[in-house]
Amino acid sequence: MSWAICTDHLTKIYGGKVIAVNDMNLQVPVGSIYGLLGPNGAGKTTTLRLLLGLQQPTAGKAEIFGQACGVNATAVRGLIGFLPTHPTLPGHLRPVEYLELLGKVCRLPAQVRKPRLTSLLRAVGLLDATDQRIETFSTGMRTRLGIAASLLADPPLLLWDEPTAGLDPAARRFTLDLIRDLGRTRTILVATHILNDIDQICDHVGVMYEGRMIFSGPMREMKRRLLRDEFHLEVDGPAEGLPRLVEQAGRVPGVLARAGDSHTLIVAIAADASRAAALAKILELVDAAGLTLQAIQSAHNDTEHAYLQLLQEDQAHGFRRFEFPKRRGADAGPGDSAV
Amino acid sequence: MPALAILQYELGSLWSSWLVRLWLIVAGLFALLSLAASWGQLQTAVLIGSLLFPFLVFPWFLVVILLGISPVTGSRLDALADGILSRPITRYEYLVASWAARVITVLAVFFLVITPCVLLGALAKRPVAADSVTWYGAFSAAALVSLVLTFLVSLGFLAGTLLRRPLVAAVVLIFVWYPINFVLHTFSLEEFSPISLNQALPTLLRTPWRDEPTGPDRKLSSADAEAMARQAAQFLSVLSGAPAQAPHRDSGDFFERGNYEDFSFWKVFLGYSIPTLASVALATWCFCRRDL
Repeated sequence: MSWAICTDHLTKIYGGKVIAVNDMNLQVPVGSIYGLLGPNGAGKTTTLRLLLGLQQPTAGKAEIFGQACGVNATAVRGLIGFLPTHPTLPGHLRPVEYLELLGKVCRLPAQVRKPRLTSLLRAVGLLDATDQRIETFSTGMRTRLGIAASLLADPPLLLWDEPTAGLDPAARRFTLDLIRDLGRTRTILVATHILNDIDQICDHVGVMYEGRMIFSGPMREMKRRLLRDEFHLEVDGPAEGLPRLVEQAGRVPGVLARAGDSHTLIVAIAADASRAAALAKILELVDAAGLTLQAIQSAHNDTEHAYLQLLQEDQAHGFRRFEFPKRRGADAGPGDSAV
Repeated sequence: MPALAILQYELGSLWSSWLVRLWLIVAGLFALLSLAASWGQLQTAVLIGSLLFPFLVFPWFLVVILLGISPVTGSRLDALADGILSRPITRYEYLVASWAARVITVLAVFFLVITPCVLLGALAKRPVAADSVTWYGAFSAAALVSLVLTFLVSLGFLAGTLLRRPLVAAVVLIFVWYPINFVLHTFSLEEFSPISLNQALPTLLRTPWRDEPTGPDRKLSSADAEAMARQAAQFLSVLSGAPAQAPHRDSGDFFERGNYEDFSFWKVFLGYSIPTLASVALATWCFCRRDL
């Protein structure tokens, strides 16, 4: 497999005090939509800035399409379209002027630059705002202009940092659809802490926590590793119905049942039991208890749960999180899903 | 092409800023007022020297420093990292283009303000004794003042890059520069002191292209020095809003100190150009190693 992004023990320590990125090995396959997930302060933005050469690593190295990243790596930056969180744009310029400037900075000839910037402005829905100064733009308009700017040089890799932050539902939908479309022809890395976005658009995911990559691999692998045979049954009916149902469901072989809230039954099915048979039996019990089934939800696809469990597991590992360099070098290769 | 694009962008930003526009208007009005005030008093060389005083010493020194500080400080740095430096352009290209835009702007304001006033003062018939200002002297003086202004921009540029916060950089420069200025002046190091340079300008303006036997009119006469002192006092009284003081013979100490016969254009040129280059190089080196 060839990598669009490959980092090797990438580390960033600010002023010898704050560890922002901690010995990180990140591999993003070419052509993937990769979600870089993590809570605030996990090191996602620092990682993007290291890839762009805006910051210099304290240790380790990073490569984009096999070329080393760095402050003077202009060829690497030419391969990247960067969208920062809440992009800070020159307010006194108009959209066309701004894109024109960036086009010149990206060394695009005029015959390519002019038609491309107009078609991009149309694509992001800013054609009506071309006579306005950027300082008058809303957050959504700024993000859309930032998206247009990141696509101006038609780069094969997009690094988008929190692209849906602060957007209204329509703008968010537009951005997610756009990522999905762009992902057909480009490699995209989306850094976010919004799990729902990752769930909708990404085929690969990396989870960062305290500057460290605690999981990296295909989305389905993340969900499979964290498989929980647990189902939530939302029921409606008499108040005494649910406690009785919990009691009866608990008697089904291989099933652990408990009440979630006043209307939810949570059943966990043992790994060796048939989930279909157990669920069929429980549904019969629901019917028999005179309750109405409102919804049934599997925890199997709950990305949020998987993500939180990853964080908890990482915390629970304690000192085992430390890996001796020699051992890691011998045991693990690039692309291993568990990090 | 990227550096040229940045240069155009920076020039556009500077000329659309209120600071540059206001400076141009106020400096123009101020120069015209100075010219009018000394119309019948100062010989051409001294008149030009007095017109250049605000640029070399006070108050336009502050504006020049502020313009130099701004490229990579404060909130501007965020926009810079997000918009420009994440593109295929080196930091070196950005900094040089940005510095060049500031130097061009400062020199453009300087020449736009000074040229009409100097031409008016030199070519018009005025009720003062004829002066022997030479073309060589005029060009040399213009070159030196341009160099000092370039140096000030570069100094602000370096301070802004090192200190990151524009206000801190401005305060540090003001508190460091003025004492140094007076120390240099006290020790008669004309090469490094704009105050001394300003006093030496009348001598330079009267210097011919080729050396000739030195006549009394090519030195800074005590009458010139006295006239300049009067002009400086008048200038400061205008600034403070106090009524202009009547001229008196004993107040010219400040300008009478200098006898600038040994003034060397090339010494001054090197004295400013080397620190200018060093400032730009150091600022670039620091910025290229910085995390954004």
